[in-house]
Amino acid sequence: MMIEGYEQASPGEDDGAVEIASLTVEGPVARLTLNRPDARNALSLPLINAMSSACDAIGMFPGVAVLVITGAGKSFCAGMDLRAVLDDPEAPGQLLSALGELTLKLRALPVVTLARVNGAAIGGGCGLACVCDIAITHADAKVGFPEVDLGVCPAVVAPWLVRKVGAGRARSVLLSGGLLTGQRGYELGMFDHVVPTLAELDAATEKLVERLATGAPHALAATKGLLAELDGSTDAEVIRRGAALSAKVVAMPETQAMLRKTMK
Amino acid sequence: MIAFEPMGHVAVIRLDRAAKRNAMTPAMLTDLVAMLDRCVSARAIVLSGVGEVFCAGFDLSMCREDNAVLGDMLSWLSHAIRAVRNTPCPVVASAHGAAVAGGCALVAGCDIVVTHAEAKLGYPVLRMGISPAVNGPTLRGAIGDGAARNRMIDTGLIDGREALRIGLAHHLAADAAGCEAFAIDVAQRIAAKPPHAVGFTKHWLNTIDGTTNVTAADNALGVSLALVGSQEQRERLADYWNKQSRKQDTP
Repeated sequence: MMIEGYEQASPGEDDGAVEIASLTVEGPVARLTLNRPDARNALSLPLINAMSSACDAIGMFPGVAVLVITGAGKSFCAGMDLRAVLDDPEAPGQLLSALGELTLKLRALPVVTLARVNGAAIGGGCGLACVCDIAITHADAKVGFPEVDLGVCPAVVAPWLVRKVGAGRARSVLLSGGLLTGQRGYELGMFDHVVPTLAELDAATEKLVERLATGAPHALAATKGLLAELDGSTDAEVIRRGAALSAKVVAMPETQAMLRKTMK
Repeated sequence: MIAFEPMGHVAVIRLDRAAKRNAMTPAMLTDLVAMLDRCVSARAIVLSGVGEVFCAGFDLSMCREDNAVLGDMLSWLSHAIRAVRNTPCPVVASAHGAAVAGGCALVAGCDIVVTHAEAKLGYPVLRMGISPAVNGPTLRGAIGDGAARNRMIDTGLIDGREALRIGLAHHLAADAAGCEAFAIDVAQRIAAKPPHAVGFTKHWLNTIDGTTNVTAADNALGVSLALVGSQEQRERLADYWNKQSRKQDTP
């Protein structure tokens, strides 16, 4: 069911914001769907804001133990919607900073976050999956961090990837750029579960969700709090510095030229 | 003892002492640091070794006359690891044949590591009263705290497959002969990407994983240096030479 009162939880958002990120709650399981399928669920400022409001709304449901994040349509999330903001010099910084804050908010949720990576998870989209506690995908999903290919620096997602796969593998993945298969991502530790085909994703996800939902909310919250302390997830400063660095690189003339060329 | 071959935007740097399995000397490490400094305009660097083996570690025969050389080598190794990290472009290692002790420490400091299934990697130096602590900060960054603890304490060597599993290596070439070409291919792909984005990304990774923490690197070097000249270290190294010469005497 759609949550009544969700709009109250996100004052100031227009009606469209509710639709581009839809949150439903059923018992201990909340589901957040990125709903911009025509744009491959690319992260625009309204989408990021809607996701952020959804995170706030989850706090109103004390019985929730699991949040499943997925994408509507074929893609999970195609990354930052830089195309839309190229002509406004302030906009990339705002977008990156909003993404950074969203990752911090997602990570700080007391419930288990599960990324159901149904299809392409690219750049910031793949970063979103890495911020989640657990990620599941299928072997053929197109995933990865092609930022350096576009002249961009993946500085916001880097700390999350480092925490997910370790600094050594993160270094190899981010400096090499390009795309990987879901299977390869699983081997590198970017995903915790992989199924051979998309057709098998739902059954595997639901089985996993059922198991995760058996966790007691208070014990989960305490465990997540400790893990965040141990792995530095509470360090907002590094994410904010990352957002500033990413914005600085986007603003460089060589990056601008490349982005305009590749996004025509 | 360092060979340089430019390949377009890729600089190939090779340890060049094949007759001694590229065993490190203070002069080799000094030259390596100077060479890395000179490659500022490269877009990617391949660090390899001439011959069948990447590097067998320190040339301990040099410490026979003067034990203090061991300290020099540890200091220069620490400098070389820092130089690899501080070089603005990615460094890709070709860990073919063997990357042992100081050789493994150098590999663990590289951004991307290519090896092959039969390669031998690891840190057997505790046996000789020498601590691999000098490479602790970069190794734990590369493979995580748990695996780094195991690798630095267990004096056994691992093969390339295990290195891939624990994250010490990132790619496996088909065999030793194809390892360097694989590394060059990885480097050339990176060199084709926008250098400013690659450079900023490496620098940011250095910042967030503690590579640029000079105090940690100094402390780690200090732990290794503190053992140099101790009675235990001198005895263990003397035992090692005795065994080596007995091996050579055996027909």
